[in-house]
Amino acid sequence: MSVLKQYWWKTLGALLVLYSLVAGLLLPLKPGIIETSPSIGVVDTTMDISIRGYNSHYLSSGDNRVWLKLSNEFMILASAVRPLSETNLIATFQIPPFLPVPEQSADCSIVLDNSIDGPAVKPTALFLRQKENNVDMGFAYWKKDQIQNLHTSKGVRFPFRGILEETIRNTYYHVPMWFGMIFLFLGSLVYSIKFLRGNDPHGAEKTTALNMAGLLFGILGLLTGMIWAKFTWNSFWSMDVKQNMAAIATLIYLAYFMLRSAIEDEDKRDKVTSAYNIFAFITLIPLLFIIPRMTDSLHPGNGGNPAFGGEDLDNTMRLVFYPAVLGWTLIGFWLADLYFRTEQIKLRVLTLINDNQ
Amino acid sequence: MSKRILIVAFILVLSQLAMASGTGEDFFRATGKIYVVFAVIISIFAGLIFFLFRLDRRISRIEKQINPS
Repeated sequence: MSVLKQYWWKTLGALLVLYSLVAGLLLPLKPGIIETSPSIGVVDTTMDISIRGYNSHYLSSGDNRVWLKLSNEFMILASAVRPLSETNLIATFQIPPFLPVPEQSADCSIVLDNSIDGPAVKPTALFLRQKENNVDMGFAYWKKDQIQNLHTSKGVRFPFRGILEETIRNTYYHVPMWFGMIFLFLGSLVYSIKFLRGNDPHGAEKTTALNMAGLLFGILGLLTGMIWAKFTWNSFWSMDVKQNMAAIATLIYLAYFMLRSAIEDEDKRDKVTSAYNIFAFITLIPLLFIIPRMTDSLHPGNGGNPAFGGEDLDNTMRLVFYPAVLGWTLIGFWLADLYFRTEQIKLRVLTLINDNQ
Repeated sequence: MSKRILIVAFILVLSQLAMASGTGEDFFRATGKIYVVFAVIISIFAGLIFFLFRLDRRISRIEKQINPS
């Protein structure tokens, strides 16, 4: 076997991880709005709303336009926009006397657009209240302006998401841990079936090695998830359904190793742990793929929504995310391979020593 | 065993340093929370190094068996 045949996939894994680190860290975020204040207002007033932007160019692009948007139909344009710096801007709104809704209050988002940055949105930025309602009058006031002629943002950039900000990049480091773990456990499932069917005499050892690497990825997934959660969801552990289920899944595979060290007889140990491994993978499917989709979760793509998409993983992010998943999976198989070969050498050395004695 | 205590102590000291560096949690929330990404990458790196250490120890044990002197 040529050197390339043995090493090409390990090199590929290393290069893909390197690519995900470089591209994932160096590409900038799209301009966005970090915060706006005040967040509460009443009708029939003139309001100055100060907007704090991120990666924005309010001063150098003189054509800032700001809208207060109630829904896709109803919005008002700011009567005056005063940029204070590249990232600070004050928009003045003449809030009409009536809202176009029969309720006493409405949530508005703020949309900002200029020729350098393109459009940026801050959802539920302003809570507006009215004492009495007049829907017809409200219609007339809020229908006048329309959001149109939006610029497009330039360059290859990652999306700006409200609470995530730069941590959206963790998608390339935290999520591939879980993908890698699933692939490693899938590999260990294949080998334990092969072993039990008598097709692979080393199947049990391969299962252990793959589970070792998979467990490492699982624990790293939990750890990185906790760090990420602390600064976005405000708590290391918020009892989110996916967090809990992932922790249970990790414990199930931890139990595999406890079971393995608990049985003395080698033949029995290999058979029992291989059988356990099949059941472990079967329990993994409802834990990670079914239960988190049945209830509400803080994770994107859960709570009835089968896959993540849109602004959580746009096409630019896919260009970094999928190579990262493949790269980390290959690295995981590399780790498992090293572990397996070390164990094989250990067995070989032991038999050689026993033969000599 | 003492190595494990050392590792735990090291992690504790690191986290204390991060929290007590006068800036506390604000440090991680500064510049668009980019330091959270930094912490995540560091912990993945630490996990890989941990795996390497364990593998190293296994290989050392085999070497000792081949060469008991």
